[in-house]
Amino acid sequence: MPAPILATKLYVPPPRTEVVPRPCLIRHLNEGLRRKLTLISAPAGFGKSTLLSEWLAGCEWPAAWLSLDKGDNDPTRFLAYLVAVLQTIETGMGAGAQSLLQSPQPLPTESLLTALLNEISTVQEDFVLVLDDYHVIEAGAVDEALAFLIDHRPPQMHLVIATREDPQLPLARLRARGQLAELRAADLRFTPNEAAMFLNEVMGLGLSVEEVGALEYRTEGWIAGLQLAALSMQGRRDTTGFVQAFTGSHRFVLDYLVEEVLQRQPDRVRTFLLQTSILDRLSGPLCDAVTGLEDGSRTLEALERGNLFVVPLDDERRWYRYHHLFAEALYVRLMSEQPDQAPTLHRRASEWYEHNGLPSEAIRHALAAGDFGRAAALIELSARATLMGRQEETFMGWLRALPDEEVHRRPVLGVYYALALVSHDLETGEARLRDAERLLDGTAHANEVVVVDEEEFRALPGIAAITRAYHAGALGDVSGSVRHARRALDLLPEDEPLWRGAAASLLGLAHWADGDLEAAYRFIADGMESLRMAGDATQSLSGAFILADIRTAQGRLREAERIYERALKLAEDHDENAPPGLADLYVGMAEVRLERGDLEAASRCLQKSGELGERGGISENRYRWYVAKSRIERARGDLDAALDLLDEAQRVYVRSPDPETRPISALKTRVWIRQGRLDEASDWARERGLSDRDDLAYLREFEHITLVRVLIARYKNERKEHLVRNATELLDRLLEAAEKGRRTGSVVEILVLKALASQAGDDVPDALACLARALALAEPEGYIRTFVDEGVPMARLLTEAANRGIAPVYTEKLLAAFDSVPRRGEGESHPSLAEPLSGRELEVLRLIARGLSNREISERLFLAVITVKGHNRNIFRKLGVRRRTEAVARARELGLL
Amino acid sequence: MTARKRRGAMSGKSGSGTHGPNQPMVYEIRVNGHLDRRWTDWFGGMTITLEENGDTLLTGPVVDQAALYGLLRKVRDLGMPLISATRVEPP
Repeated sequence: MPAPILATKLYVPPPRTEVVPRPCLIRHLNEGLRRKLTLISAPAGFGKSTLLSEWLAGCEWPAAWLSLDKGDNDPTRFLAYLVAVLQTIETGMGAGAQSLLQSPQPLPTESLLTALLNEISTVQEDFVLVLDDYHVIEAGAVDEALAFLIDHRPPQMHLVIATREDPQLPLARLRARGQLAELRAADLRFTPNEAAMFLNEVMGLGLSVEEVGALEYRTEGWIAGLQLAALSMQGRRDTTGFVQAFTGSHRFVLDYLVEEVLQRQPDRVRTFLLQTSILDRLSGPLCDAVTGLEDGSRTLEALERGNLFVVPLDDERRWYRYHHLFAEALYVRLMSEQPDQAPTLHRRASEWYEHNGLPSEAIRHALAAGDFGRAAALIELSARATLMGRQEETFMGWLRALPDEEVHRRPVLGVYYALALVSHDLETGEARLRDAERLLDGTAHANEVVVVDEEEFRALPGIAAITRAYHAGALGDVSGSVRHARRALDLLPEDEPLWRGAAASLLGLAHWADGDLEAAYRFIADGMESLRMAGDATQSLSGAFILADIRTAQGRLREAERIYERALKLAEDHDENAPPGLADLYVGMAEVRLERGDLEAASRCLQKSGELGERGGISENRYRWYVAKSRIERARGDLDAALDLLDEAQRVYVRSPDPETRPISALKTRVWIRQGRLDEASDWARERGLSDRDDLAYLREFEHITLVRVLIARYKNERKEHLVRNATELLDRLLEAAEKGRRTGSVVEILVLKALASQAGDDVPDALACLARALALAEPEGYIRTFVDEGVPMARLLTEAANRGIAPVYTEKLLAAFDSVPRRGEGESHPSLAEPLSGRELEVLRLIARGLSNREISERLFLAVITVKGHNRNIFRKLGVRRRTEAVARARELGLL
Repeated sequence: MTARKRRGAMSGKSGSGTHGPNQPMVYEIRVNGHLDRRWTDWFGGMTITLEENGDTLLTGPVVDQAALYGLLRKVRDLGMPLISATRVEPP
């Protein structure tokens, strides 16, 4: 449940009726629309907001306005308001980003922003987005989000930032590129002419030129100062005396003038101003609650009419605020004149907000009143909603403001605090968890324990266990994670689908990491169902992706395919907009199609996924697109391209709770082996600390199988017996583990490798026996690439099998699939070449031999000329030659052509 | 020689040596215009001294750099022209 959006924060302030026209500044703002960003940076009281509302009233473009406050340092809240303010331009804009925001699994800000930017780019009309009071932002995360927004700004959105200090954005760069329009204090302050126009025409004071000059000099054109001065002079006969006294004083302009203004108010109004200065926003009923009187609405209207620094926040004149400067000066007066009153006033405000359903305001005032018991009780009641709305920063900010003893006797707060902390800082989170657990198991003094929310208390032991499971899982303690997640499920009441879903998913991920795929599948499917019941639909697609992954590892390709098909159909029927996660499904489907040998269909899936763009995918899964693309390129024989894509995959990879079953560095090593780069492959095995005598674990299975490949390839080169022996022994152990875990996908690959190892050791009968077992398992699921990717040695072995009548239909199909692969060169290390040529290099070499120029080769192979030259360099190096003619001669010598 | 130099530079950095790194530092913030004394609490207990030239000095202990920036932000929020912020020896 997201926290309520305050409409007053999105209100575009209307232009004031009596103002000094400032055509020069308006022109400057209009011209600024051509640039990326308009920055209005000047101290308080320089008329930034007034100028902007003037400008927008006359501007052709529609405008959205967001008044920021301290709470927006929570990046989630900031983004929620960003979406809300954009929806004032066009209903439904940012709906995709909004649904991502509400998903309980935190997404990186960048993917949310990308989703949002994509949606903005579909808006027809140009518009202006104003972020007012940006100086309240201290959180680097929000600055970064904004910098990203500016960098990737769709052309129809023009951003304006109003602030008291320069924001932490790359301003120098924007300035240097002419992408920044700026208005600063020097531009905004009233010129002597404007001061005269304001004082005499707008305020009707009839001052002399000298008096205007003196005021302008004393205030240095500071607009708030001139306004306060004008207010002090209104209705006063002796304006000359006022000007003399004011200009002759050293007192800080604000102090002097607020004093003057307050002195001219009746006592009733003066008291009202001081008492309500504790409020960020003012409404009649709220003011009544704070003052204990009943004239709040009337007083506010009178203040607005009298130009007493109240700013309306809506069209109905229900909410106002004081001009910030004025509010601060009033608050300081309240604190020095009636310091004892402030806590009472804050508490009254807190109660009003509580009864009017605005818990976070109620909490803020309770904290300001120093009434920590009240604050803690309120926080307890809104803890779940705040955390489910993913406003962790807000929640943790409240808890940091509470004294420790208040948290220590409240198990609800203790457990939620631990849960929020543990994903940021494992140690502190765990320490808090231990405190909370003591409260729960009764080892703490029971008479001190305070529980406001009994309902929440029931679920607490379960939530504590979830926190433990998360903690253990993050430390790689799989069995601990399983134990605690199980305990959570035992402890949680049936009617807590959200927490039960979270616990089941954690249990599933732990089982997956442990290699128990069937259990993992069951728990994750259960967890998804619970989350769906709890109303979280966004999880279903990413859940399907995980489930299909598990089925693939189990060798159940057809079922994986069905999961993708079902989820894709659901997603496409369900919504016109692509739901998040759809792009990932296409990537998963591409890998299944590829394994089935349909390269064209696989490419089409990847293309579709690419067209959906980044917003269609979860950013943790982005690397998978590159991995799939790399596999396709490899199947086409372009190993260099495959490697480039894996580098790219590595660049976009982010860690997530999903187990990393195919580490990218191992995928790269497999390509190196293909290229004959065995030194690099051996280095990788050494760096990863891999040995054929390692204990086996599912999470290292892919790496161990890759190690086997390194050993077999080295054996083919070095012919040292122990290499193939070690490989075979490791394979036997891997096979046993994979069979035990029913990971048929791994079993097929291991049997294929056993067959190749036996073949390399010239034990053809054993090779064929292993191959036959692999074929029997693989045929019903339609595996192709697992065999074809092994290249020429596998083709020979399959031919042999076909001759002996082993799986005749299947072997024929597999052998047919080899035809699209270059038979020679790829993977088959040539005895007299230290580093064999790749398939692509051989192709280039053949064209060189036919006398084609680099340009012609590039056209024929659809490559850039520079890429062809790169291949040439590799060919020359591998052949040990320096010229094309020499290369051709040497290749003929070696029988490569 | 180098070692002594380095030690010298370090002791210079930490002031007279009578107060360690955990001792609060004293800062003097100069703003333009005479400020009412009632701002004392708002500025976290800084002493307000009015200078004859029309400036105000806010003097007092500052726990750390973050606290100093907090004070400067308050100066900013009042739109007060800041003239200088200096670290001084504690009285």
